[in-house]
Amino acid sequence: MENWFVNIAYALTNWLTGLGLSAGWADFILLVVQWVCIIIIVTLNVIVLIWLERKISGFIQQRLGPNRLGPFGMFQTIADAIKLLTKEDIIPSATDKLIFRTAPMFFIIISVMLYVVLPMGENMVIADLNAGVFYFISVGSLTTICLLMAGWGSNNKWSLLGAMRSVAQMISYEIPLAFSLLGVIMIAGSMRLSDIAAAQSNVWFIVLQPVAFITYFIAATAELNRGPFDMPEAEQELTAGAYTEYTGMRWALFFLAEYTNLVAVSALMSTMFLGGWQGPFLPSWLWIIIKTYLVMIVFMWLKWTFPRIRMDHLMSFSWKVLIPVTLANILVTGIALQVFKGMGW
Amino acid sequence: MKGKGLLEGLWITLRHLFEREITIQYPEQMPYLQERFRGCLQFDYKKCIVCGLCTKACPNNVLSYESEPDPNSKKKLLISYTIDLQYCMFCNLCVEACPTGTLYFNHNFELSEYQRDDIKIVYEIPRSAQAVISEPVDSPIEMVDSDSEPAPQPDEEEAKKQKQINAMITALQKNPVKAVSKLVESEDQARILADILQADEKKLIRMATMMIEDREKAGKVALAFVNKELKDRQQEGGAGNEPE
Amino acid sequence: MLQTEQYTINIGPQHPSTHGGLHVEAVMDGEHIVDSIVHLGYVHRSVEKIAESRTYPQFVPYTSRLDYLATHLPTLGYCQTVEKMLGVTVPERAEYIRVIMAEFSRIASHLLFVGSLAIDLGATTGLIYCFRDRERIMDIFEMTSGQRLIASYMRIGGISHDLPDTFIPAARSFIADFPKMIEEYEGLIVGNEILQARLKGIGVLTAEEAIEYGVTGPNLRACGVEYDIRKADPYGIYDRFDFDLPLGSKGDSWDRLLVRIEEMVQSVRIIEQALEALPEGDIKAKVPRIIKPDKGSEVYHRIESSKGELGYYIVADGGEKPYRLHVRAPSFVNLMVLPVISRGEKLQDIIANIATLDPVLGESDR
Repeated sequence: MENWFVNIAYALTNWLTGLGLSAGWADFILLVVQWVCIIIIVTLNVIVLIWLERKISGFIQQRLGPNRLGPFGMFQTIADAIKLLTKEDIIPSATDKLIFRTAPMFFIIISVMLYVVLPMGENMVIADLNAGVFYFISVGSLTTICLLMAGWGSNNKWSLLGAMRSVAQMISYEIPLAFSLLGVIMIAGSMRLSDIAAAQSNVWFIVLQPVAFITYFIAATAELNRGPFDMPEAEQELTAGAYTEYTGMRWALFFLAEYTNLVAVSALMSTMFLGGWQGPFLPSWLWIIIKTYLVMIVFMWLKWTFPRIRMDHLMSFSWKVLIPVTLANILVTGIALQVFKGMGW
Repeated sequence: MKGKGLLEGLWITLRHLFEREITIQYPEQMPYLQERFRGCLQFDYKKCIVCGLCTKACPNNVLSYESEPDPNSKKKLLISYTIDLQYCMFCNLCVEACPTGTLYFNHNFELSEYQRDDIKIVYEIPRSAQAVISEPVDSPIEMVDSDSEPAPQPDEEEAKKQKQINAMITALQKNPVKAVSKLVESEDQARILADILQADEKKLIRMATMMIEDREKAGKVALAFVNKELKDRQQEGGAGNEPE
Repeated sequence: MLQTEQYTINIGPQHPSTHGGLHVEAVMDGEHIVDSIVHLGYVHRSVEKIAESRTYPQFVPYTSRLDYLATHLPTLGYCQTVEKMLGVTVPERAEYIRVIMAEFSRIASHLLFVGSLAIDLGATTGLIYCFRDRERIMDIFEMTSGQRLIASYMRIGGISHDLPDTFIPAARSFIADFPKMIEEYEGLIVGNEILQARLKGIGVLTAEEAIEYGVTGPNLRACGVEYDIRKADPYGIYDRFDFDLPLGSKGDSWDRLLVRIEEMVQSVRIIEQALEALPEGDIKAKVPRIIKPDKGSEVYHRIESSKGELGYYIVADGGEKPYRLHVRAPSFVNLMVLPVISRGEKLQDIIANIATLDPVLGESDR
């Protein structure tokens, strides 16, 4: 059970080389297959996640979430997806057509690109890059421009306000995001994600870097435009902010991309802090799924409890609180590493 | 600690995450309605004394009725009663104004219709002494509600009437003079009528039925019988004198 | 230097967080509000004109629709105005029941205030919890009058029905559970640091400005002015009850929230005292069926509604319908302060300011 997917991949490569293709072509076709798998994983995850979010918000508010379609309302997301697919695609006439139409596309492309470096289990990384973490953070920050495109292209004051806010927010929280991961990289000694996961065989990094975990959590919530940091799409204040003018499937693509991003970030968190695919009894890919979902449930729990943070508090919190804390964390980690190395651990 | 309030809030929502829900699954489960809940207006035609206080009390001209004076007594008879529910505020002023408890609210709160005209509730009461409520015009709203007293069904009325007719037949058979004494003016006429009815079974049943259903008509028919009998007897008396 | 431009943005009338159909036109410079103009009238239903063609008893249901969140308070004001005009004395039992119902309405209105403030600031869960607790008060209203939200329960001269047997146990159980509810709100909403940061120091209204604009109710008490009509000019039997007036100090949104939460606790105190002292007796005084006040008589009577001073001014002309009826709506006056307190603040703060001023558009537009 542990090596199902690895065995399937080997079998496929062998069969393709047996057919007479060169190794390069076989790898390429394997890559295409992996890409299809990623798309399937993303879609399935989003379907489950939207249902999970509505159910959790319902239970927190002492009501049932979706409960009519299917057992426990499981088919609600599919019904919503069908509804969104069949909606009229309204594009306001005064918008910048190219930017308006391509914003959701870029958003989802970038969010899917993040899955390339994530280890889905032991030896199950699509591209085990040497600078895996670096790739993840840099590609992840490209989502900022997609929101700006959406807001600008809508030709709407509310959307522009939302987009401007989101740009300010995301840029402010990039630095704590990167710095909190530096402590983990220092301890593990490499930026390759599978190495980091393997280095947690004795003790998980959340025990060694609790402060970094909390700051990464907060920074990630801000990067995802979720929870207490969802100013840019604040329903009560901006009527959906940057997404106001989007209808039907385009709007659905935005939300698909946001949830995809959420899964990717949660998977990264479980890899870097919670031990990745390490765990007894169950196969490694199942452990990753469990840990990712646990992290996502905590994200949802936070979202449905806290009110929104005001823009300037958000920025001052990032620049005046999080960055000094993460810098201090790096300092302490470095000193501790040298001390423990000197002591011979 | 600076973030203490945040953690308390998280703890509260976490606790509620594992509690049972407080909502009910409508329409499978109906909500619990208190006794005085104001659902839909209902009109119990039997108790109405046509005083008009409800129409005067209503702020929105929801209630209206047609009536005619009763020829037998000083009261009024109700012809029809209309409740135009689209203007009703459910304020209870009409129910409080009614002295006999004819108008009241039932617990039916699902009052929406597909056409605007269907929202009017019209009660039409046919002109008979024992008014039976006929099928109200233009009223798809359920007249019989599980929470209220059901309107008497036509079969029940029929059964009641039949019993009364049977009682009258028995009375006419046993003590005809007394039974018909109210229909005619003098005792002689009563005795004549009694003889007629005793002789003819069919006439007796017919007279009994008419006495229950329409007293006036029964009186007229009785008089006609008596006069015919008197004329017949006169003719019999003088039949021998005249050629056939 | 970059050239910047001010732009105008319309908040409402169709907006997820304006309380009813409120339209605020905000002139903004980036994120800061330079000026704001309040446009009202989207919910105008000409209630005052309707009053001229309804008799005095017939107008009672319309008053509940003015401030629909606290249903018994406007009805109480109207009935007391007409009683003042006619010189009718309301029986003791009816007075006590009126006080209990009025205070329950006040609690219901403030509960909704807390909930809608939470959801306007983003904590959706807070609204659901407040509505869950409001449902218990709705059940109590349904028990006594028959309707949950718009109960026309009070009549000129008293009340319409006597209390059912289930009322006192339900009221006592609500009072017993109330401290736990307050604890939950303190933990989730009031104690939340994010909310405190969003409300403290925002929307400051000084006492002089408040008195100048005619602001009344909890908004005025949050500025530190100790003025409550129940204590300053008692109506009904309010002078027999012992309760405190919570006061704020700075007049900002945070004080407005705290004042209302404390007022709920004080209302529960009043209800407890009224339940203890509830006498037996009639529930309605003998009032003629057709009410015709003397020609030329005019009266103005005011009560402390949950939003402020709710006043009724009636001019009679000897007939059975009033010649003129005017409602002094507290939300109408309170909303005029919005441009003053929002100047120089951010867009998100104006949303918080509208929420903490607690307007009800039904009564400000009548």
